[in-house]
Amino acid sequence: MEIFVQILILLIIVAICFALYRLFRGPTVIDRLLAFDGIAICSVGILALLSLLWETDMYVELILVYSLLGFVGTVALVLYLHRTIPVREPGDKKPPKGHS
Amino acid sequence: MIFFVLEVILASLGTAFLLLAAIGLVRLPDPLCRCHAVAKAMTLGISLLLAAVIMHLQAEETTLKLLLAIIFQFATIPVAGHLLMRLAYEKNMERWKERPMDDHRAAASQQK
Repeated sequence: MEIFVQILILLIIVAICFALYRLFRGPTVIDRLLAFDGIAICSVGILALLSLLWETDMYVELILVYSLLGFVGTVALVLYLHRTIPVREPGDKKPPKGHS
Repeated sequence: MIFFVLEVILASLGTAFLLLAAIGLVRLPDPLCRCHAVAKAMTLGISLLLAAVIMHLQAEETTLKLLLAIIFQFATIPVAGHLLMRLAYEKNMERWKERPMDDHRAAASQQK
């Protein structure tokens, strides 16, 4: 059982590495925000698997708080970007400043 | 015994969905498609993982807290995805290259 849960944690770490690739590479700021959201969700998954591995219920509150923090971070950044980044005009070859 | 089997199945399915969502985040061509991968598959995957924790711990108060956490995931992740995609729509961000659409806001208003 321990080996099984450790393999699952390793798979989620691989998922976090994929999301980190999109975080660094992403052409627009929305890709980076999506990757951040995905990394927060995968961290909650790792916390759930750790409470399976160590058979403790102390991580349940941590799961609640961590998912709340990821959501609030995403919403705050989106509301900030609504006010700051410009609208891309049709016909532009290059995306305007602030879209990356 | 039945709870152990359920726990193994739920944990495996949840991890598989999380990994598939991350692969979709890398492979799909455009922000709207990537949000489609993240908002749906990651919600299902994290809910299955939390259900596996419920099967493992089996105490009343932790079951209630984890059910609250599952409801919370179902309430927040699609909302975050919707906010991000509304940002992409209003700022007229670029779509994928195989189907170029220069101003999808104008295309949507012409179809009415």
